[in-house]
Amino acid sequence: MLAVNPILPELLLAVGAMVLLMIGAFSRDGAYGLIRTLSLVLFGLAAFVLLAFVDSPADAFGGMFRVDAFAVFVKVLILVAAGFALMVADDYLAYRGLRRFEYPVLILLATVGMMLMVSAHTLLALYVGLELQSLALYVLAAFNRDRLRSSEAGLKYFVLGALASGMLLYGISLIYGFSGTLDFAILAERLKNPATVHPGLLTGLVFLFAGLVFKISAVPFHMWTPDVYEGAPTPVTALFAGAPKAAAMALILRVLMEAFPGMVEEWRQLVIIVAIATMAVGSFAALVQTNIKRLMAYSSIANMGFALAGVAAATPEGVRGVLIYMVIYVLMTVGSFALILAMRREDGWSEEIEDLAGLATTRPAMAAAMAIFMFSLAGIPLLAGFFAKLYVFLAVVHAGLVWLAVVGFIFSVVAAVYYLRIVKVMYLDPPKVEFSPIAGSGIPFVAGVTAALNSPLHLLFIWPLVLVAGIAANALF
Amino acid sequence: MNQFHVIVFGPLVGFLIAGLFGRRIGDRASMLLTSLLVSLSAVLSIPVFIDTAFSGGQFSVPVLEWVQVGMLHFTWSLHVDTLTAVMLVVVTVVSSLVHWYSIGYMDEDPDKPRFFAYLSLFTFAMLMLVSADNLVQTFFGWEGVGLASYLLIGFWFKKPSANAAAIKAFVVNRVGDFGFSLGIFALFMVTGSVGFEKIFAKVPSLAQADFIFLGHQAHALTVIGVLLFIGAMGKSAQILLHTWLPDAMEGPTPVSALIHAATMVTAGVFLVARMSPLYEHAPAAADLVTFIGATTAFFAATVGLVQNDIKRVIAYSTCSQLGYMFVAAGVSAYGAAIFHLFTHAFFKALLFLGAGSVIHAMHHEQDMRRMGGLRPMIPLTYLMMIVGTLALTGFPLTAGYFSKDSIIEAAFAHGGSIGEYAFVMTVVAAALTSFYSWRLIFLTFHGRPRASEEVLAHVHESPAVMTIPLMVLAAGALFAGWGFHEFFVGEARGEFWNGALAAGGGRVLDHIHHLPWTITYLPTVMMVLGFVIAFWFYLANPAVPVALAQRMNGLYRFLLNKWYFDELYDLLFVRPAFRIGRALWKIGDGRIIDGLGPDGVARAVMAGAARIRRIQTGCIYTYAFAMLIGVVLLVATVMLAERGF
Amino acid sequence: MIWTAFAFYVFAFFTVFAAVMVIFARNPVHSVLYLILAFFNAAALFLLAGAEFLALLLLIVYVGAVMVLFLFVVMMLDIDFVALREGFARYLPIGLIIGLLLIAELMVVATSASVLPGAPLDVALPFAKFIGMDNTQALGTVLYTDFVYPFQIAGLILLVAMIGAIVLTLRHRPDARRQKIGEQVRRDPARAVRLVHLAPGEGLGQTESD
Repeated sequence: MLAVNPILPELLLAVGAMVLLMIGAFSRDGAYGLIRTLSLVLFGLAAFVLLAFVDSPADAFGGMFRVDAFAVFVKVLILVAAGFALMVADDYLAYRGLRRFEYPVLILLATVGMMLMVSAHTLLALYVGLELQSLALYVLAAFNRDRLRSSEAGLKYFVLGALASGMLLYGISLIYGFSGTLDFAILAERLKNPATVHPGLLTGLVFLFAGLVFKISAVPFHMWTPDVYEGAPTPVTALFAGAPKAAAMALILRVLMEAFPGMVEEWRQLVIIVAIATMAVGSFAALVQTNIKRLMAYSSIANMGFALAGVAAATPEGVRGVLIYMVIYVLMTVGSFALILAMRREDGWSEEIEDLAGLATTRPAMAAAMAIFMFSLAGIPLLAGFFAKLYVFLAVVHAGLVWLAVVGFIFSVVAAVYYLRIVKVMYLDPPKVEFSPIAGSGIPFVAGVTAALNSPLHLLFIWPLVLVAGIAANALF
Repeated sequence: MNQFHVIVFGPLVGFLIAGLFGRRIGDRASMLLTSLLVSLSAVLSIPVFIDTAFSGGQFSVPVLEWVQVGMLHFTWSLHVDTLTAVMLVVVTVVSSLVHWYSIGYMDEDPDKPRFFAYLSLFTFAMLMLVSADNLVQTFFGWEGVGLASYLLIGFWFKKPSANAAAIKAFVVNRVGDFGFSLGIFALFMVTGSVGFEKIFAKVPSLAQADFIFLGHQAHALTVIGVLLFIGAMGKSAQILLHTWLPDAMEGPTPVSALIHAATMVTAGVFLVARMSPLYEHAPAAADLVTFIGATTAFFAATVGLVQNDIKRVIAYSTCSQLGYMFVAAGVSAYGAAIFHLFTHAFFKALLFLGAGSVIHAMHHEQDMRRMGGLRPMIPLTYLMMIVGTLALTGFPLTAGYFSKDSIIEAAFAHGGSIGEYAFVMTVVAAALTSFYSWRLIFLTFHGRPRASEEVLAHVHESPAVMTIPLMVLAAGALFAGWGFHEFFVGEARGEFWNGALAAGGGRVLDHIHHLPWTITYLPTVMMVLGFVIAFWFYLANPAVPVALAQRMNGLYRFLLNKWYFDELYDLLFVRPAFRIGRALWKIGDGRIIDGLGPDGVARAVMAGAARIRRIQTGCIYTYAFAMLIGVVLLVATVMLAERGF
Repeated sequence: MIWTAFAFYVFAFFTVFAAVMVIFARNPVHSVLYLILAFFNAAALFLLAGAEFLALLLLIVYVGAVMVLFLFVVMMLDIDFVALREGFARYLPIGLIIGLLLIAELMVVATSASVLPGAPLDVALPFAKFIGMDNTQALGTVLYTDFVYPFQIAGLILLVAMIGAIVLTLRHRPDARRQKIGEQVRRDPARAVRLVHLAPGEGLGQTESD
């Protein structure tokens, strides 16, 4: 077999992105439609290659790159999320005059970065993967360069992301300095004896952790999120809320479980503190939001808090819970954004929650789908979101952190308030705004699929998902 | 699926259809459907009664697995023995007659489907109660009939007095239900089961068991017996918890006949009879039952003497008769208690429905002072009322004669201070009963008409749909005692009850045939005495009662105001409860719970959210600074934790 | 050796001094110049450590390209420094606390300088396999073998940066006159020149070529 076998899907995407870049650069009109379609084909092809041809577990590049069940699981999720985000973008880009071929190409390259993050097995590979992803996302955030908010979002994300990268690098250098290695496996070996935990290593770990949780917008590294989510073009926000979160969470899991199992007591406190702060801020701040994109920003913050609670369990069951959580979270969030992208009036998109008033009478199907997502996000039984929280909290309880599960439960009750408020506005308030029909089949498709998967139909796929997530989680231990 | 399911669930089907689709299928269809389904239950329950009572059958018909939690495990099944079969017959027959009667009585009411739905719901709950094979199922039926009673008392919900009466009935019953549930818990605690069969199997071994509660030692079965009896007191309107029953007359008269005379109020007696194996081992509790029953029989009869509302007189009479039943149950003459329950159902329903017929004829006039001289105008109703009165007062060979006399005799045969007390009380009450019953007849049907010309011009006999049920009940009132006393309390009772009641229906009953003849004839003498006095007071010389009331004004007012129980409760419980409630509402709920709870939390949340929003300045420096602070504090935290802080 | 140490401390002192001055200089142009000074000193430190390739890279890339660009940007931007310093005093106390805390933490790290058991103690020494190679050669050797993966990814990152720069800044102005080289080369006299006869005293009148 080829020596590049483990990295075949990434290679495919990267080379494909460059080919599409050339096609776009040399065709007269930019050929957005063609490139977008080919990008989707590439996503599908990459997923197919990943599942059919890549041998796992396997290492490549001297152990810098690792593909195992965990990586395959998360990569498929990333590909699906990125593909969905690309699908829902058509109408928005067309309306705003942003149908430029760089858009799918940048998403492709960002996706390559995310996949590399998931497979990173040294701190160096971790860093380059993260940067590849981040840089593409910075550009995407500012993609609508003529709108001030978009540029501002890009700039903010970039500057703060650079600061986070600085912290990350500082942490990496401390870890390297005190352990003499960047490799996860060797690091784990050298940390086996917990008596030797060193303040330098500890500090390095904190800085590394800070740099990583910046990407999942955990508190107090979350402050960019509402501004960027609100400012960036909505399809870009739909991307931000999905795939990168899954990639960063996977990276956190891999680093903590594979490189620092010897310091589990140390980083567990770290994770718990950050998780509680994240749940609290995400749940409370969302209560006073009126802009639905900002609301979704805080919602995703709160959700990451819940997932982090699962990380704190530090057991295969906890990792499994987090993986299930991320899958369902991505489905809920991407679906919600698809519907937000359908909130177009004559004069552009409305982003106020109040504008959803009476949606149940004007657009019953859309309201029903939105209600499914909101109930699911609130974690109401019979919807997928319930299982997401259930498996995480179950793992937390089994890890002996009952109080953390209780805290999480309380915050999820608080969070339920604002989700249910949206349902209330849609179903009980009189209609206010008439939405125009949207072009393309991407939004109905994505919204339909994700709504179906969140609806009670999820009971059909939840057990296989739990099984597969369990296999993926065991790959880290 | 067999006839038991049909008997029990038929009324439920009627309730669901009439309740949910009543408006769609129309008044007529709702009335006919519910009446037919209940009648079907009645027809089917007669063979069941014959099977169980005379062929010695006992069935348990499973319905569902119900609860399986830890030690607590029981199914939902219909238990049919003689006791249940008797109750089935009583409930379904009276209920179906009341259904048919109501078609005529409720003729002018706009809410017929609702009324019939409630009636059927009540019937279902009552059947559930009597066919229960465990205490939880009993409790379900118990609460079900309470609910139906609440709904029916408040049926005319636009009348404030009806609403108040409904709430009063519900609240007073809560007191009893509290005792009942405590009793169930206690039984479960000592026997580990709620099923009758298992409980009764364990009871003999617990005869010496004690509870120790807060340092006090108490005989376990006595405590349980008293607790269960408190429940029975509430449901059966015994003294102290009786205040709701007269007020419950605010409901339509058929409801009074069905629920507040024939069936629901007897549930307490049924419960004591059902738990008879337990009371056999708890003599102190049984004595309490007798004492309360005898006191109620006397107390209610005295109040009945002076009431002017025709329905209230009968209501106090019911209260008093229930007291008789408890006397019988307390002196271990369970057969006599159920016998009286059985016969009482017929004649008391007859009296109520007859009174309803009078009220119907008088255009909803209930005050006897404005009646009089109605005999020629409604002769059939008059005849029926006479039959009911004869049965109630114990005229020889009518139903009441057999059942009530056997109770009085049982009380005497039981002996001891409690037996003597009960004997005296019931004998005096028998005279009082006779007096107020005949007073009712004389005031209503004899003498000079006191109603206005306008009303009198419209007085008319009730339609056949109302009078036929009266005649059926009259037949029961005349012959039920004569036909069945041999089985319920006589020689054949051991075989008849077949273990459904403890001690073959009652130890004492063996002795009642060997009593001196003076005792045997005493009730009849009392009956005649009451009749004579009533005749003298209200027909021969109507000035006497007025003069008597003036001479003994204090006693008269005391009785007229029902021994001032309502005023006492108002002073002792209602007003303090309102005061406490208001205080809890304003201070406890409003300031403390809402202030610190929902409102306070909401305020705090909003303040916190606003704070987070204020930090969210939009300035990149702030964000970067926050990140830096975060990382520094995190480092400090893990370092300090590492050093053991 | 003593001179090496002396030189190290001199350069190190100036590096730190220049870095502090970057922050405290009132004039942003001065800040940039201090930054250049810092880079020069850092390059010298690299040289002392024997990393001559990195030293020259630092000078050429950062000082030669990046810093000059910075200088242009700073001089072209009209930054209101008064506005920037607003709130400085307000945030000073908490900033100082955080700064002191950070210093304290780093002191803890620095004073307990021990490494993990099993960690190679010779990381600061020359690698055996590079002995005899110069810097450039050694870097090249590892860059294209052991570290080809991150190196290639770095290439992708630069590609993204390039795409990003173009996406965010390139504008096609329809009114701008641009060179179209192909067209210009293909131009011939037949299409470019037209001879007209003009009678004296008459203007050109309306022609089609304007």
